[in-house]
Amino acid sequence: MSELNSLTEKILRIRLAQMMVNENYKDGQFKIPIHLAFGHETFAVAINEIMDDEDKLILTHRNIAYNLARLGKLRPIMDEYYLKCTGLDGAKSGSMNLINPDKGIIYTSSILGNNFSVAVGIAMSLKIKQKNGITIVLGGDGSLEEGSFHESILMFKSLNLSGLLIIENNEWSMATKISERRIPIDLEIFAKSYGVKYVQFSGNNPVNYIQELKKLKEFSKKNNELICIELMVNTLGDWVMTNDQNPDGKFINYHAGPAPTVDVKACPALIKENNSDPIFVLIDLLGVNELNKLSDKIRNELEEEMK
Amino acid sequence: MKYIELINNLIKEQVSKHEQLVIFGQNISAGSCIGGMTRDLSIPKSGRIINSTNSENSLCGFGFGMMINEVSSIFFMKQLDFLLLGIDHLVNTYNLIRNHKNNASFTIFPIVMDNGFQGLQSSSNNFADFCSIARVKGYTITNKIDAEKIISSKLISPGFRIIAISQRMFKDEIIVPQELIYVNEENNVFQYNSGDDVTIVCFNFSFPYGQQMVDILKENNLKCSFFNINSPTPTNWTKIVDDVSKTKKIIIIDDSKSENLNYHALLNDIYDKVVLDKKIILKRNFDNTEWLNPVDDQMNINYQQIINDLKS
Repeated sequence: MSELNSLTEKILRIRLAQMMVNENYKDGQFKIPIHLAFGHETFAVAINEIMDDEDKLILTHRNIAYNLARLGKLRPIMDEYYLKCTGLDGAKSGSMNLINPDKGIIYTSSILGNNFSVAVGIAMSLKIKQKNGITIVLGGDGSLEEGSFHESILMFKSLNLSGLLIIENNEWSMATKISERRIPIDLEIFAKSYGVKYVQFSGNNPVNYIQELKKLKEFSKKNNELICIELMVNTLGDWVMTNDQNPDGKFINYHAGPAPTVDVKACPALIKENNSDPIFVLIDLLGVNELNKLSDKIRNELEEEMK
Repeated sequence: MKYIELINNLIKEQVSKHEQLVIFGQNISAGSCIGGMTRDLSIPKSGRIINSTNSENSLCGFGFGMMINEVSSIFFMKQLDFLLLGIDHLVNTYNLIRNHKNNASFTIFPIVMDNGFQGLQSSSNNFADFCSIARVKGYTITNKIDAEKIISSKLISPGFRIIAISQRMFKDEIIVPQELIYVNEENNVFQYNSGDDVTIVCFNFSFPYGQQMVDILKENNLKCSFFNINSPTPTNWTKIVDDVSKTKKIIIIDDSKSENLNYHALLNDIYDKVVLDKKIILKRNFDNTEWLNPVDDQMNINYQQIINDLKS
């Protein structure tokens, strides 16, 4: 199997697993809030591909794609969402704080910006224990507005700690776009002012993402330096709400909860017909027939797992 | 020996014994070393001493991050007020850690600015508030006996806690209680005297007032039991309730400035079992706004009036 086909299967697995969660969510089966991450699948797979045993991954409330990527299974995660003792964390974490220490996910925070400084501590612990691993921490564009973002970069740099600090920029913080809530922040200039290397990712090509991430990880480890990565991503699942107050329809960005317009039966699991959807990019790379074939295969495997 | 000298010595002794220990905080090995608290610390080479940035919120997260990955640390903090910036971590980050297996130690070691002259933005003195908000273990250091017991058993041991010291007592000679009659397993209820006339219970950093009260009562031929509560989180005070059952009289001293005070819970437990003959509560007076100004933060206690009250 080619590298691209293998990666495509992994991306499809995360997409379809989320779609299955979404169907149960639409059906009102969960008591806990879940932040789905349609559109984040390719980067999650790329992170999984570059991680070694001693690496640590520090996540946010929108962690489902990364947890699925690291685990490679749906059942334990679904069980966690049902708060069953057979869940990935024995029903201790639910969704927004889901961790999986066996796979390096040792901290996940539902508090915006909270996890950056925890990541600095984890990076220091790797240094103290003379481990070969690196700390990878994620946040959203909303977390740039928290003081801890600035404080943590300062500490990473002052303590000469390696790490990848990844900002998933989907332009939204809950129901407000960046332009609605603040002045723009040029993250490249911001990072430069701290002497931090900045790289932007976009396009959802998994092979490119992995190649670039591998290089950055090695650079960070070799030079004991933090690298700031801005991932341009579209969190898919938006819809148009029409009611008496909004007869012409109002755009609703997906933040959390079920995504009403996303249908598990969609083939091959496509949500948006542009490059913001990783599946669209894969169709472009492999052709729709191959994607349909692979998505059928993964769908059957997931259905078998969930029986 | 001064209060702060004893504490510095006890800290030095403990940190010198632990491998892979990270000690951090602002100016901990520079300048006055936080008023002498962290002067001349020496640790094994496998650890680190870090004069950190001024990022209190993130420094709390930093300590918890090391703890998550099984590295022990101590965060020495100039003022308890600064810990307000780290409350997110005390509550939210710690909740995740304590819900999973962990063998590392993380201690935050702040100074409570309780001499009053620092002014209105450096006067948060109720240590219990910080511990109560997320049921965090916390210990106050008030004399030689509790200092030795708490620092040796809690400074570096699995889990998270806050150990607080008093700026007001920094330059005072360390109080050496004559004897320790009882201390519970958790090292948070200490008894220093036993007597049948009245029970004295001190909270927060009011131990010196309690010790003075004990001495004056003795001069007046009154025998008292004397307890100090070193931990503001819910604790088993059966020993105190039993003692009050015997004396039927209680004097409570609490120098905290908060509205919610820890002794309310003790009184509730006492009321369930004892009908009191006498209850004397010595606490802060907030009849005017003077407490917000840079003023001497001592409590004014009329000991003679209390003697008269007890004898009446």
